[in-house]
Amino acid sequence: MAANPLQPYLNAIRRTLEAALCIRNFPSEDVERHNKPEIEVQDSTNNLIGKPLIISRSPLERTLIESSINSVRISVKIKQVDDVDAVITKMYMRFLTQRADQFRILRRKPIEGYTISFLITSIHCEEMILSKLIDWIIQFMYDIDKELSDMKITLSKRARVVAEEYMKQLL
Amino acid sequence: MILLEINNRIVEETLTLKFKNALAGHKPESIDITIADFDGVLFHISNVGGDKTKVRTSISLKFYKELQEHGADELLKKEYGSLLTQVEDGYNVSVLIDLENVPQNWEEIVKKIGLLKRNCFASVFEKYFDFQERGEEGHKRAVINYRNDETMYVEAKADRVTVVFSTIFKDEDDIVIGKVFMQEFKEGRRASHTAPQVLFSHREPPLELQNTDARVGENIGYITFVLFPRHTNRTTRDNTINLIHIFRDYLHYHIKCSKAYIHSRMRAKTSDFLKVLNRARPEPKNVEKKTITLVYVVFFHQT
Repeated sequence: MAANPLQPYLNAIRRTLEAALCIRNFPSEDVERHNKPEIEVQDSTNNLIGKPLIISRSPLERTLIESSINSVRISVKIKQVDDVDAVITKMYMRFLTQRADQFRILRRKPIEGYTISFLITSIHCEEMILSKLIDWIIQFMYDIDKELSDMKITLSKRARVVAEEYMKQLL
Repeated sequence: MILLEINNRIVEETLTLKFKNALAGHKPESIDITIADFDGVLFHISNVGGDKTKVRTSISLKFYKELQEHGADELLKKEYGSLLTQVEDGYNVSVLIDLENVPQNWEEIVKKIGLLKRNCFASVFEKYFDFQERGEEGHKRAVINYRNDETMYVEAKADRVTVVFSTIFKDEDDIVIGKVFMQEFKEGRRASHTAPQVLFSHREPPLELQNTDARVGENIGYITFVLFPRHTNRTTRDNTINLIHIFRDYLHYHIKCSKAYIHSRMRAKTSDFLKVLNRARPEPKNVEKKTITLVYVVFFHQT
């Protein structure tokens, strides 16, 4: 992985996550006996939210990390250069978000302007090993890039074979 | 299976079975099956008037009227000759085989019947290829509405025949994938220098079709094949027709295949992701549970 051009970007995200994921159980201050992820509470008076942070690799590729006292929201924008990228990414993200329940930390709907969002709450941190969770997010970002470009390559490879076979027959 | 078969395999297999049974001297059984093919084509294999030795294969094409204008009847007569029979109600062409006297060349006949759909299509191509061969220009363009909302145009010039397909992409993703494919078809001449020129236009019909009623729309694509005399001459034209008439189905089939492939890949990768994520959850500690065993000790007093 050392020679991977994505590495500095992923490293920056890892460090930020390590710092941001210091969260604890914190019941709601507005509603009694409620415990909700503060980051999802849209309220200007909410002072439990930290400053959001954007790590950007290029205008097309960036990560938004928003932290609060008991939850962290991570939104990733995946690089999409052309229509084909957009279609494959759209298909993939729809596939993943439909399975958000199984992923637990996956947000059903991405934040506006991003491709996919995660929501990690203090409960998740208690259930799971934090270092492994961060590892997973980094691995996910690395794999998804690779997978999407692989799919695009196989698609055009298939198109080429299909066209060539047809044209070869047509003497 | 990259190239689609142009014959109908079910028809062929059914008829082959019939002939083989007849040759082996088995008692013929009654038959009544309906088979669907590309472009809304239906086949119907049945017995005529309850006579189990007479097997009739009928085909229905929604656009047969348009094909008739271009000499479909004559071509079928030439191709099938005495096999043609009274047309079944609701169908366009019927051919009859008699199991009582199986001809020597029955395998050939089965092949021929399997190609019924292709031969219906062939008439319009043959006609325009002939125009080109004779150098006749100025004939009206042939318009075949081979599917609902999808049309094929054939036009002959002295030095070439142009075939234009209009096709609809039902899904907006299909347009994008379709474009990738068409791009490769455009460049297909790299694979063989003798291949015809292929043009693709999205949304708007190509120049030749402007000022006609050709549809314009976001999900419509037009594919133009420019066939030169080397494709339309007597020796190669059969091959050209075989490939050209199935083109639309070929394109859409491969678009669907690509999507299916992407989907199966997503499924595999997603379950991979899940497996790794689940490893982040610590295993619940296995506390060894001990059951309490009671030991009864009974003393007997011996008196």
